[in-house]
Amino acid sequence: MRIKVVLHYLGLLIASIGLTMLLPLLWSFFNNGTDTSAFVISMAISLGSGLLLWRLLPVKERGMNRREAIVLVVSSYVAASLFGALPYTISGAVPGFLDAYFEAMSGYTTTGATVFTSIETQAEGILLWRSLTQWLGGMGIIMLFVALFPILGIGAAHLAEAEMPGGQQGEKLTARIRDTAKALLLIYFGMTITEFILLCIAGLPIFDAMTVTLSTTSIGGFTATNLSIGAYNSLFVEVIVIFFMIAAGVNFGLYYFLIFKRQPMRLLKNSEFKLYITLIIVVILILNLDLIINMKLPFGEALRYSSFQTASILTTTGFTTADFNAWTDFAKSLLLILMIIGASAGSTGGALKVIRLLVLAKYTYRRILLAFNPRAVIPLKIGGSVMPEGITSRIIGLAILYFVTLVGCFLIMSGLGLDNITALSSVVASLGNVGPGLGMVGPAENYAFIPPLGKGVLIFCMLAGRLELFTLLMLFTPAFWRWR
Amino acid sequence: MYIIIAGGGAIGFHIASLLVEEGHQVVVIESSETVLKMFRRQLDVKTIQGNAATPKILREAEADRADLVLAVTNSDETNMVTCFMAKELGAGTTAARIRNPDYSGYFVTPAKSSTTTHRVIRPKSFGIDVFINPEAEAADEITSILSGFYSTPVENFADGLVQIREFRVEGEALVDKTLGEITFPKPCVIAAIVHEGGVIAPDSDEVITEGDSIYLIASKEFMDELGKLFSQPKRPAKKVVIFGGGRIGFLTAESLQRRGVKVKVIENVLELCQEIAAKLENVEVLQGDGTDRSFLIEQGVPSADAFVATTDRDELNILCGLLAKNLGVPRSLVVINKPGYIPLAEAIGVDVAALPAILAADKITRFVLHGGAISSALLEGQQLQAIEFVTSPTAGIVNKKISEAGLPKEAIAGAIVRNSSVIIPPDDSVVKAGDHIIIVSPLPVVPAVEKLFK
Repeated sequence: MRIKVVLHYLGLLIASIGLTMLLPLLWSFFNNGTDTSAFVISMAISLGSGLLLWRLLPVKERGMNRREAIVLVVSSYVAASLFGALPYTISGAVPGFLDAYFEAMSGYTTTGATVFTSIETQAEGILLWRSLTQWLGGMGIIMLFVALFPILGIGAAHLAEAEMPGGQQGEKLTARIRDTAKALLLIYFGMTITEFILLCIAGLPIFDAMTVTLSTTSIGGFTATNLSIGAYNSLFVEVIVIFFMIAAGVNFGLYYFLIFKRQPMRLLKNSEFKLYITLIIVVILILNLDLIINMKLPFGEALRYSSFQTASILTTTGFTTADFNAWTDFAKSLLLILMIIGASAGSTGGALKVIRLLVLAKYTYRRILLAFNPRAVIPLKIGGSVMPEGITSRIIGLAILYFVTLVGCFLIMSGLGLDNITALSSVVASLGNVGPGLGMVGPAENYAFIPPLGKGVLIFCMLAGRLELFTLLMLFTPAFWRWR
Repeated sequence: MYIIIAGGGAIGFHIASLLVEEGHQVVVIESSETVLKMFRRQLDVKTIQGNAATPKILREAEADRADLVLAVTNSDETNMVTCFMAKELGAGTTAARIRNPDYSGYFVTPAKSSTTTHRVIRPKSFGIDVFINPEAEAADEITSILSGFYSTPVENFADGLVQIREFRVEGEALVDKTLGEITFPKPCVIAAIVHEGGVIAPDSDEVITEGDSIYLIASKEFMDELGKLFSQPKRPAKKVVIFGGGRIGFLTAESLQRRGVKVKVIENVLELCQEIAAKLENVEVLQGDGTDRSFLIEQGVPSADAFVATTDRDELNILCGLLAKNLGVPRSLVVINKPGYIPLAEAIGVDVAALPAILAADKITRFVLHGGAISSALLEGQQLQAIEFVTSPTAGIVNKKISEAGLPKEAIAGAIVRNSSVIIPPDDSVVKAGDHIIIVSPLPVVPAVEKLFK
């Protein structure tokens, strides 16, 4: 483990984070915002310390090994949140640094959980920065980094793998990981621009269109309003946002084949894509029925709410158009389950991912068959090809780890005095990078009241969820640090 | 004909012995000197030691004047290169054994419309005229047997109008009768009787015993009815157990499940099991030993309609076939590579479904036919050959009665097809130009028969 190498690249990354503050800085400057000075100071600190670290620790040989890559990925989220929290603290938007750090981590991990008690009273630069951090985190800070800096050599592949484990199911789209990163970013960028233009056409002011777009394509969930998307009360806007949430929840590798290779059948025949779309439609119908029967809503309104909320929660975005905390317990349970399932692998969404659910279901069914005929040979097939045993057991391990983390953090949160629903949903929403939960952290509430230790636990959950647990938890094993 | 055979394995040997018996000049190329010694000891062939895929060896074998080059080594790639080289040197027809199913995608004759095919390579550009895949042929054979009423192989002639079919004598009704005493409900010709492995000419005073095989030539529509005389028809198999997950087992399982048959494959090697299970949907793959009685019972083998043993070990196949028969499976089929085991298998009551080596030889013989012959099949191992001739106006047999045409006495005229109608001799009708005549003859007599049609 060469700490020097990690710190060298970390410096470059921190400096880059500093550069991204230019956007809210300029916005604030030209709109005479109150937070211009906060951004100037934050940017100066980030750029200064980043470049200092980069220059002071020169690296002779390029590239890095797997362990260094893992440490760099984890520390880059920690460091990015550290410097990304500066504007919140310096501008005085939040009372303490922990709150600022929570908000920044919630941004970079595309969670969308907020500690702001009132959003609309915040300066525009701060709100833009919130959404921008989500956009940067959406495709992955590291993916962005790999695409921009051609300096990493073979380390780039390790980095990408550590940040998005199993994202492309071990399949590189191009011969070089950097080309893959570029192609994926191009798709991400294209999606963002398209949504922005559409939202402007739909009549949103430029500022709102910008924040909503940055938080949609990244599956983030921050908005510049107290009532989230519901504040705009526009069907047109909701339809656009629903479409882009669902689109961003699809494996971006499939878009690569659709756009660059002109192979639409790869998308349409993909078993995860098919299940993902089916799941969305089925849940919308069930939720719709529940809203009509138990909430006595007219059909049109019920469909509007149910489709928006299903798309938002399943993709783990966290936008809301209604306070679903006031819905029936059945609807709430359904949404809580969706938070655990999450979007597709290789998308910008979080949680367990649809493909893993499919593998787990098929694995369990196979186990049942083998129970009465141990001699039968039944392969686990996804989309016609056999799932290697190694990947299957990794997925099972991940699912176990996911639920162990869930249970452990749920206990801690309960121990801190939160009621069951709040404690459970706050952990589920953080681990799945959703944002709003149920009960006291519901869509109309925020995370400000959570005690400091609880915020720490949730920050851990957000990061663990974003890095799909293994990458983060590896650092807590003694074997990882053992000399070799 | 001048024929080069590359590869001295079981298939190469069978084809060589067959061609030598028919009087062709045969050169065998093989890298192993021991194998070549065996060839020289048993057959009248020229042998060349070396790699057949090299121009040097092919030139030594005079590939430029070869009428037929057969590449039947164990390696598909060597076979392809050999054919390519031979063709470049100026050889006539080339044939290659291609076994790997992964290659078969390239080697299907191009589709009629050029837009419907994705194939990159046309076989001709490889210099290969004929593809021999003994395993695939064996699988086809097994499939066709299992979907028919009888467990014995059938050969089709004249676009399927005429069939030659082997029947095992099972019923009491015919036993100890002479051929002359049998009354057939429909016109047919008995081509041969097989008694304890030996072919006997079907004279009318020949006595039939249980376990004999009878080769019957008849119009296709009457075949099933005639078959009832000899053995009980069995319903087409709906539940089949295949033992052995090799190429034959895999291909059989694939084609059976495509016909909607419930298939279970038993294979001992776990890796093979996983490979088959990955490739085939709707096929139950079981890892276990086919000789383990309790395992077979546990997996429901006794309630299957048919059991097919397809491993590459003849002894194992016969043993398992017997075990399945003992467990009460109505049809028990085995794949056998050594022709010497055929009487053994038949003696204990398992049906021999296919011999890959002979099937390959069968296909090859169709390309060394003389005169007006358009189709042929080997019967009872390699003892008999059934040939379909088209009579040309200049042939010696034209305008003569069959009985007076001068056929060698060992040869039997089975059927005449004229304007798509089947005429079964004995008939004093005169042979006309353009008739299709199916003749069954022992191999050594084949050249004499062919002369009549020249």
